[in-house]
Amino acid sequence: MDMNFVTNLLLASVRMATPLIFISLAELYSQRAGLTNIGLEGLATIGSLAGFMVSLLTGSPMLGVLAGLLAGILVNMIFAYATISLCAEQIVYGMAINIFAPALAAFVYRVYFGSGSELVQVKLMNTLSSSVGITPSNFFARLLLDQTFMVYLAYALVVFTAIYFNRTKSGLNYKAVGEYPKAAATLGIDVIRTKYLASIICGALAGMGGAYLTTCYTTTYVDGNVAGRGFIALAAVIFGRWSAGGVLLACLFFGFCDALQIRLQVMSFGLPYQFFQMIPYVATVLVLALIGMKKAGPKSCGKPYRREER
Amino acid sequence: MKRIVSLALALMMTVSLTACAGAAAPAAAPAAAPAESAPAASEAPAAPEAESKDYKVAMICDSSISDGGWGAACYNAMVDAAAANGWETAYSDMIDQSAYYDTIVSYCDLGYDLIYAPGNQYTDAVLQAAEEYPEIAFALLNGGANTPEKAVNGNVTSLLPDANQIGWIAGAMAGLMTESGTIAFIGGMELDTTKAKYQGYAEAAAYVAEKAGKSAKTLDIVYSNSFSASDKGIEFAKAMIDQGADVFFGDASAVDSGARQAIDEANAAAGSVKIYDIAQPADILGQNECIITSQVTDNSSLVGLSMQAVMDGTFGGEVIYGTLQNGALSAGKISDLVPAEVQAQYQEYLEQMINDTFMK
Repeated sequence: MDMNFVTNLLLASVRMATPLIFISLAELYSQRAGLTNIGLEGLATIGSLAGFMVSLLTGSPMLGVLAGLLAGILVNMIFAYATISLCAEQIVYGMAINIFAPALAAFVYRVYFGSGSELVQVKLMNTLSSSVGITPSNFFARLLLDQTFMVYLAYALVVFTAIYFNRTKSGLNYKAVGEYPKAAATLGIDVIRTKYLASIICGALAGMGGAYLTTCYTTTYVDGNVAGRGFIALAAVIFGRWSAGGVLLACLFFGFCDALQIRLQVMSFGLPYQFFQMIPYVATVLVLALIGMKKAGPKSCGKPYRREER
Repeated sequence: MKRIVSLALALMMTVSLTACAGAAAPAAAPAAAPAESAPAASEAPAAPEAESKDYKVAMICDSSISDGGWGAACYNAMVDAAAANGWETAYSDMIDQSAYYDTIVSYCDLGYDLIYAPGNQYTDAVLQAAEEYPEIAFALLNGGANTPEKAVNGNVTSLLPDANQIGWIAGAMAGLMTESGTIAFIGGMELDTTKAKYQGYAEAAAYVAEKAGKSAKTLDIVYSNSFSASDKGIEFAKAMIDQGADVFFGDASAVDSGARQAIDEANAAAGSVKIYDIAQPADILGQNECIITSQVTDNSSLVGLSMQAVMDGTFGGEVIYGTLQNGALSAGKISDLVPAEVQAQYQEYLEQMINDTFMK
């Protein structure tokens, strides 16, 4: 195990954490407005397909990301209308999105591409270094320059979110909706509008996270390519104690653990591969034990808001 | 009003799910399966027999049929065999392990004549369904040699390409082409056939390299635990390249596609193609720059034999082997990246494998 191993491991962690950051931020915005949306897997899946198809049709990965964003918003409006306007159970509708959206994605894929077995591949988004024509040689140059626009956007969003929720009046109002919507309403905050706004942001970010997979990471779309990231993102929000910085650290931690198990599997050390595959899960249990399970999330999460209710 | 909208939303989701079931929701798969039918009976080539019965085959698969690898090759094998024999086809792909049995029996209930399950992992589900549906034939690609004996109704046939020979075909090329002396193999699930392929790959590469006056060490097998996580393929390949691997082979469907993407990126960064991949089980030379050849398994001939047996009423209780000797296994086209003398040497080794003199 040398310096090369460590640097490549860290670079892999960043690669693997990026889609998680988008999807986790999506959940953070949703929960901060009192909406527990477990449908992230479905939203990311539809975003992944939309990103792939638009990228293929237009040759522009950026338009693909935009399509993923719009697809995520569109699908999440089902969740928003059902849970905000109809006051339906959030967990049930989140689960429904998780079943509905991947099935819809598979259906659209088959309708468009037919039942052919040809592997369709798209061109990925350029990294900053390739766009400006330089070849970064050392670790820091690769870390900072050998990334796509989406990676910079993910980290910029983390900074923006941290400032927005903690340093702006609008952000504090937004959080108030997630904590005690009736009190927020008495202060003149439009709770319903805030919740719909949260759903739009959630759909957009989760869709972008999915689109990242097919416009920046892999050249193909395969059913199931989101591979549980929607559920990991849910854990990351709890891990991160509902703060942008915490969510970032949680995503980097999950990305690091997954990258580590892959690299240790390759190095083998004569141990069964299952030993390495359990690393992310063991690490999760250990960290949860260390940071404790104390509830720190928004108080109105999961509860429907009825304006007339006393 | 809200109730009406709620009902409309629920109905919309239900209808969508039903429509999608053929591709992604195995429990309801057969509802949509006929829509996936390859040539309709009227469009299909004339059946080789005079009977008016329309035969139908259904494939279940836990990977995607458009994965550019295993799923695609198995699906094409069914379609080709069906076209040759005048059968209708249906499939359900991307099904979870928990839905293997339910999907199979759904097709059984719809009156399909042959259930085609391409993978050792379906053995338990197939045996259970075969016991409950004695009149239906089950073809298990990569099934165990003793699986047909376990079927109480004698209606299961194992189609068994020789996994060790598959490994040899790829390993001989890897041993000849490696310059670093390190080669790699990526597995999807820990299956007996995957382990046998790895074994054959490693031993053939070591043998051939030694004959060429060099060495070929195969990195330990790794498993992605998925056939669809192409991102895992990327990360595995990058990690293996860091360990010096310069020839890759795999048995992991879309994960292999991800590995090829990483290899192409590494070659592009180096400015020349020095890291190679050997594809399987279809000949896909040209799909990626790094592919130097493919190990080809003619699954269609094996599936075709099963169809013929069903039509003849002789199906069941046997193992149909696929080997280099009977032509079911072969090497695909070879890239220009492989020097002419290496190609000639490779052909010699293939001849030895056919003549059963390889490594003897």
